[in-house]
Amino acid sequence: MNKWVYVHFPHLLLDYQLALQPPELTDAPQILVTSQQGQRLVHQATAAALQQGVRLQMAEVLASTLVTHLQIRDYHQQQEQRVLQQLAQLVYQDVAQLVLVPPQGLLCEVASLVRLHGGYPNLISYLQQRLQQWPLRYQLSCGYSPLSARLLAQAQQGVINENPAVIQQALAELPITACGFTPSQQQRLQEVGMQRLGQLMQVPRAELGRRFGKALVLYMAELQGELPSPQHYYQPPLSFQQYLDLLTEIPSWPQLLFPLKRLLQQAEAFLQGHQQSTRMLLIKAHHRHGQPTQVRVAFAHPVWQQQDLLQLSQLHLERQQLVQPVLGLTVVIQQTEPRVASNQALLTETKQSETNIDSLVSLLQARLGTDKVHRITLHQHWLPEQRGQLQAWQRAQAVQAAGQHSSLRVKRPLWLLPEPQPIQVQDWDLHWGPEHLATGWWLSEPVQRDYFIGVDKNQRQAWLFKDQQGWYLHGWFS
Amino acid sequence: MVGSVKPVALHCLSNYSFLRGASHPHELIEQAYQLGYQAIAITDECSLAGIVRAYVAAREYPIQLLVGSEFRLDDVGTLIVLVRNKQGYAQLCELITLARSRCKKGSYLLQLDDFKQRLSDCEILWRPLTSLGLTPALLALAQRLRGLFGQRLWLAYGRHYQADDAEQYSLYQSLQQNTGIKVAAACQVTYHQASRQPLADVLVAIHEQQPLDCCLAQIKSNQDYGLRTAAELQQCYPAEWLATAAEVAKQCHFCLSELQYQYPAELVPAGMNATEYLRQLTYAGAAQRFPQGLKADVKAKLEKELQLIAQLKYEYFFLTIHDIVQFAQQQDILYQGRGSAANSVVCYCLQITAVNPDQIDVLFERFISAERDEPPDIDVDFEHQRREEVIQYIYRKYGRHRAALAATVIRYRLRSALRDVGKALGYPEQELRHYLQQIDKRDTECDWQQQLSAKVPGLLETQRGRWLLTLTEAIKGFPRHLSQHVGGFVIAATNLNQLVPVENASMPERTVIQWDKDDIEALRLIKVDILALGMLSALQKMFKLVREHYHQDYHLANIPPADQQVFKMLQQADSVGVFQIESRAQMNMLPRLKPHCFYDLVVQIAIVRPGPIQGDMVHPYLRRRAGQEAVTYPSAAVKQVLARTLGVPIFQEQVIKLAMVAAGFSGGEADQLRRAMANWKSNGELQQFEHKLIRGMLARGYSDEFAQRIFAQICGFGEYGFPESHSASFANLAYASAWLKYHYPLTFYCALLNSLPMGFYSADQLIQDARRHQLVVLPANIQQSHWHHQLVPLQQGYGLQLGLRLVKGLAADEIKQLIEQRPRSGFRNLQQLRDLGLSATTLQRLAAADVLGSLAGNRYQSQWQSLAHQAEQLPLFAHQQTAEATPDYLPKPSEFADIAGDYQTTGVSLRRHPLALLREQGWLRHSKSAQSLQLCRHKQLVTVTGLVTCRQRPGSAGGVTFITLEDETGMANVVIWARVAKAYRKAFLTSQLLTVKGILEREGEVIHIIAGELIDSSEQLARLGMQANRSRDFH
Repeated sequence: MNKWVYVHFPHLLLDYQLALQPPELTDAPQILVTSQQGQRLVHQATAAALQQGVRLQMAEVLASTLVTHLQIRDYHQQQEQRVLQQLAQLVYQDVAQLVLVPPQGLLCEVASLVRLHGGYPNLISYLQQRLQQWPLRYQLSCGYSPLSARLLAQAQQGVINENPAVIQQALAELPITACGFTPSQQQRLQEVGMQRLGQLMQVPRAELGRRFGKALVLYMAELQGELPSPQHYYQPPLSFQQYLDLLTEIPSWPQLLFPLKRLLQQAEAFLQGHQQSTRMLLIKAHHRHGQPTQVRVAFAHPVWQQQDLLQLSQLHLERQQLVQPVLGLTVVIQQTEPRVASNQALLTETKQSETNIDSLVSLLQARLGTDKVHRITLHQHWLPEQRGQLQAWQRAQAVQAAGQHSSLRVKRPLWLLPEPQPIQVQDWDLHWGPEHLATGWWLSEPVQRDYFIGVDKNQRQAWLFKDQQGWYLHGWFS
Repeated sequence: MVGSVKPVALHCLSNYSFLRGASHPHELIEQAYQLGYQAIAITDECSLAGIVRAYVAAREYPIQLLVGSEFRLDDVGTLIVLVRNKQGYAQLCELITLARSRCKKGSYLLQLDDFKQRLSDCEILWRPLTSLGLTPALLALAQRLRGLFGQRLWLAYGRHYQADDAEQYSLYQSLQQNTGIKVAAACQVTYHQASRQPLADVLVAIHEQQPLDCCLAQIKSNQDYGLRTAAELQQCYPAEWLATAAEVAKQCHFCLSELQYQYPAELVPAGMNATEYLRQLTYAGAAQRFPQGLKADVKAKLEKELQLIAQLKYEYFFLTIHDIVQFAQQQDILYQGRGSAANSVVCYCLQITAVNPDQIDVLFERFISAERDEPPDIDVDFEHQRREEVIQYIYRKYGRHRAALAATVIRYRLRSALRDVGKALGYPEQELRHYLQQIDKRDTECDWQQQLSAKVPGLLETQRGRWLLTLTEAIKGFPRHLSQHVGGFVIAATNLNQLVPVENASMPERTVIQWDKDDIEALRLIKVDILALGMLSALQKMFKLVREHYHQDYHLANIPPADQQVFKMLQQADSVGVFQIESRAQMNMLPRLKPHCFYDLVVQIAIVRPGPIQGDMVHPYLRRRAGQEAVTYPSAAVKQVLARTLGVPIFQEQVIKLAMVAAGFSGGEADQLRRAMANWKSNGELQQFEHKLIRGMLARGYSDEFAQRIFAQICGFGEYGFPESHSASFANLAYASAWLKYHYPLTFYCALLNSLPMGFYSADQLIQDARRHQLVVLPANIQQSHWHHQLVPLQQGYGLQLGLRLVKGLAADEIKQLIEQRPRSGFRNLQQLRDLGLSATTLQRLAAADVLGSLAGNRYQSQWQSLAHQAEQLPLFAHQQTAEATPDYLPKPSEFADIAGDYQTTGVSLRRHPLALLREQGWLRHSKSAQSLQLCRHKQLVTVTGLVTCRQRPGSAGGVTFITLEDETGMANVVIWARVAKAYRKAFLTSQLLTVKGILEREGEVIHIIAGELIDSSEQLARLGMQANRSRDFH
């Protein structure tokens, strides 16, 4: 007979986010909210928030009135999905028959593990140890069917005992509202006086079927483990590519180390699970706009431990500067090889040919730093000197697309001086103007200039402007 | 020569070109006047929504307002249509109507062909698309336009100091040479002065739904889109082109004052004029209303009113309303008129109102005032469930081309302003939400900017934060879009769309005009307000029930007046369900004010409002009324205005009148003041009157203190002032409903319950009130109930049989059909209901509501049987099935489960109150019942526990929250100060069952508990499996 353990993480996403925050912030009351029919409701809450009276499904407005300085963020199901995936990778190290039950649960078939560990208590404490690697709140329960384990864990009534009678007893106590019924099923059951699952268990199945349909009969059978319940067991990914959302924009690499550590820890778990090592990591820092900044970290020796991965990445990143703040991080393991083969590679350089320009640029960037490789782009900007710009490679590619919209039919000098040069206007003949440029008021450096086209004594045509400080030469027409 | 030509602006967008123009119409006009303009055209995009505001502003200055509109057409460019004369105006209105009618609300669609032969009396300015240069296509288009408009077509050249100015200039020049179309200098004006550039940019960003940084391509690169000085214009444009612009302006001499509103002529029979006909109708009505003949003074008033109506030519207005109420009368739809003009003898005779002049003689001094220059104001309320019939009648009678609803301009308020401006400045939504949470709108000490900068000190330290505050304040009051007025109809003699553009409303089959009520008023057009009122539905049903069961024929006009028993009831705050005076605050006021005549009710209704409360008028009035304070007046003139309210201004009219008699305002100025009062929150216009008002009063010998107080009262009235004329009509309904409550209580509750949703109380609260009045209320059940609640004969008198409409989730038709087929002896079993075609879900709803008891046992048993529907029954056995034996696994509902089930399925329970059960079980040993509070001393320390049925935090009460606790004996009123609310925040905000320890305060018959400690006792409910979320929160 199969045996099941279900682990329920009621605040999965929020707890995960907390794990990424510096410890001094994690005591703050925080909640994640969802929108349901136009109403914003509390979906997950930190212990501090719960302690101050916040309840799940409470209106956001009420929660924020209840708790001053409550941090409120939106709940994102997709993010939570990713976290669950990552969690699965962790647990997979111990449990081969693992099922993802989104959004917040993991189901384990443990019959053989119970034998291996010599009984439930040992197995459970082993699992608990593993789960402690992540500071998540969870509820764990055994069950004689997947459904029984799940209901008990989700209702926070976990049973750690393999005696079916004990499990049965705990199930009987569950209120109807905690049994995963649809709202209409639940309502109808309550309308005939069914308050606890135990009452329902006493009703002959045929009578249930007559009144509540086949679905309920199947449910009861599933609950009691009378039906084979085929499961989609978790298959670990063959490659490692893991994305992590940051809660706030982070401006520099040193501050990214903490979240990076987490990712590398998962990378280690992956490599360990597959008994592999790697020679190359790709670290992508995602920005609010434009392409992510990419950093390739090549290792002289194949490595697999978080410690090594981190150390070398850190060295590599020290040279880099971030062009804009980062919203998310991705780590990709690019070249893996079986553990045994690791000592054979003695060459310090990878053999792969670097013919295409991207690889070349990546290499240059790795050597010189991301900011050292540039290209010229045109883009929208209120400052003329900012319209044509040398830009760091990745950013340039992003901005290029946006810049193409601007119709630059207007007369602009081909040669723009890097810095406007003060001039004596009486040395010039003004031929055309002015063009008023007055914008950017919302920034720290608003611009207010009157541009003219003028000719100097040598009949050279130039672009001049006047601002509050005086007259300047800004560029030459050909 | 050119130097002497005064400049003209031919192409200006106001903020009625939503999210494009960054100045109010009046700002454009005033700026143009300051800069010495000859004329200014307001040319909002496919709209005349802002033109009346511009007109009102332009009346004040010697400047010509040109009426026009801008249209942006693909492939053509922008066409600016300027109106030459009245015909041209009608043509423009029709064109806008056409363009708007093709699209859903907010957009428009036009093609060049639409302009054909439509605009013979308009000048057309053309701003071509020039991005491709002078192409043959452009020349061909020019020729085509020339063909369409001939000499009335002009090229509009605007120079805005851009990089391509030179190219543009030569392009226009060649276009003129090649086609002969003359170029007129016309800047594109989107704001009145350069300082509005930031706001204009923000509007672009709001429109693009992107932060500013992401819409650089759409944002103008400089601040040259305002009105320029004459010198600047001469520097910028060739003199010839400026002269052409002046020439264009000269062609246009239309003024909105030329619009002559023509009333629908069909209302007057042939061979009579309107004056004669109105007189005839009025006197015919008078004979009915005053069967004993008119008293001399009433007749004198009637004559005076008729004379005034004739003088101001308002006959058609009265005739129109008369026609509508005639229809309502024929259809037996209850209605009542209100408003200044409604309380006239004429309206009483025309059956527009039922307020008997004998009763409120004093009101007749206020009527339409020639001196005050206001249009007549009559709103007519109809039964809320039947108003649509009246609206359909109007459409039928006048046609959709002649009748449309007035618009309501939806404007930016603080919340929407901060959110939109913030997003444009790139703030994340979450942060903006946080800022908004820091603002307490009720804080009268600090405005929102002060509050925000105090609570978020970092905000002002950044440039962006300072812009957020500045621009949010600047955009407040900007129009955002047009919506439909609740019921204001404009009816025209011929096609309405020649008077004002008409556009689609968001509601299907409804059209709105582009003007709102202020615009309509400014142009002296007439609008008729057709409103819906729940109490009229209820009263109509009460009258009907009284006729059916008590054989008395009452209607609004013949209810016996001044019934002291009724007033005695009200003095005891026994007013649940009575129109307008049923709220908690009103109930508190009743024992203090002790109304004993009709006019007291008029005061009562108006005094419990934020205006008088904020203006601190309530207590002086009560003290004077109780004889605790001398009634004095600073002058005889003031006495005349305030005598009937004991020297304390309570009504909006009194405040206006005070401005006239005490501060010397002219009629016109007083009218402006009235308008400013209505709008001051959105534009702060009121402050400009402060100086004038106070100076005026000081000059007339009033004390500074008096003057300051009057101004404070005016400000307090601002948004919330209540006119006496409306209060009087409401008082009439309040009295009628109170009279019925006292004399025919069963019909009163029955009709109210049948008219829900309406009013302040839920069915449950009304039924509890009925039972407290010792009325017999019978639970709904399948054998006796109908759909509606009904009066049923008992051995003695009548009882109230609840109807099945209480049961949630039923379809009225299905139940009505079932009831029709109900045998005299009642149904025998559930199968019979099924055989009659009752659906499974309906049967289950009925079972859950426990109305099938006589057929199938308790609610669990009933539902158990109802659910078994799925099983096929052999017809042979079907009838043998009676109540099935109850299987032993089916529990019996506990009393709590029954109560909870009742509330869940019907919102009402006639069983014991949950608190009675808790008390029986000893949970409330330390709490006093609501009833026993009557026996407590003033200042006694008490503990009470009850269900929280109402949380109210009136804006006027300065941080105090009122909570009503309900137990099995009645209600207890708890006052919670902000300090206590904060200390017991969790219990305060989340309790369903609340225990309060506090001090009892007694003021006459009013009892309050001032809370000292709050304890959340909701767990006791949960323990018993009961959810009692019945609180109505009014924050």
